[in-house]
Amino acid sequence: MSQSAPDEAWAGAREIAPLAVGVAIYGLAFGLLAAQAGFGPLALGTMGATVFAGGAQIIATQQVLAGAGAAAAIVAGLALNLRLLLVAASIRDVYAGRRWWQVALGAHLTTDENWALMLAQRAKGRAVGYWYLVGGGACLLLVWCLATVTGVAFAQALPEPKSLGMDFAFTAAFIAIARSLWKGRRDLLPWLTAIGIVALATHGLGLAPAWGLVLGGVAGAAMAGVVGRD
Amino acid sequence: MTETWIVILGLAAGTFLIRLSGVLIGQRIPQHGAWARGLRALPGCLIVSLVAVSLLSGGTREWGAGALALAVACLTRNLPLTMAAGIAAIWVLRHFS
Repeated sequence: MSQSAPDEAWAGAREIAPLAVGVAIYGLAFGLLAAQAGFGPLALGTMGATVFAGGAQIIATQQVLAGAGAAAAIVAGLALNLRLLLVAASIRDVYAGRRWWQVALGAHLTTDENWALMLAQRAKGRAVGYWYLVGGGACLLLVWCLATVTGVAFAQALPEPKSLGMDFAFTAAFIAIARSLWKGRRDLLPWLTAIGIVALATHGLGLAPAWGLVLGGVAGAAMAGVVGRD
Repeated sequence: MTETWIVILGLAAGTFLIRLSGVLIGQRIPQHGAWARGLRALPGCLIVSLVAVSLLSGGTREWGAGALALAVACLTRNLPLTMAAGIAAIWVLRHFS
């Protein structure tokens, strides 16, 4: 049974709320950092709406702050975002048969959080798709822009999120979502492969976490493709 | 000032291209066989990788809080509750151990 587009979008926006709280706290913290790098509220609001990828914005801003230059900042941010290619590719049915503007809108609003939430709801047997993803993404974009602009405007008055344990919010969220994606023993080998490659890449080879993430995801999927059966 | 706007423009254009490429590549991968199986397994593998990166960059406190969050996730299958348990656990571990 599927809902109408507005109902589904509204459900996506509502149910992303716990994750949006985490995004808001991250946004405030990022606003603090961006203030040190000389970003104003207008620049940061524009960045939030057009880039809409928190981790990449943080890494790029750290590079600017370290005096690495614009090119190095852009490359560092985009390296972290390579996973979004895999994220978008992995839910191809969501964009299939959509008009070009819907594809562009959906692609821009695809983030780790609303993608993962949609997958978790599907794992529970709900028929959610494009509009659920877009509703959640729109809610996150609004929250992210408001929080980052607030953070840069009130940079002096805010506490550090790590002192509150809030830096762990997304790790815990992704643990919950991984649990809901677990479909039985056939997931074991691909998942262990992913974890092993992440450990090897980041600790063994000393690669940046962004590369470990992409390599781990690809290696696990490759294992499922080669070893698994339909 | 100019550097700020160059970074914003470069990141925005590059990130959108990455997302759009993902959509287009996903549409072109075959519907059956090894490639399709890999693509179906990709979300779970990416999520597990995200968790692994995060926990491996932390220490024993993060692992403890992660283990507790996993236990809560398995018992309740509830997202907000798991987040609250993880945050509370890491806060307690960092302040009292």
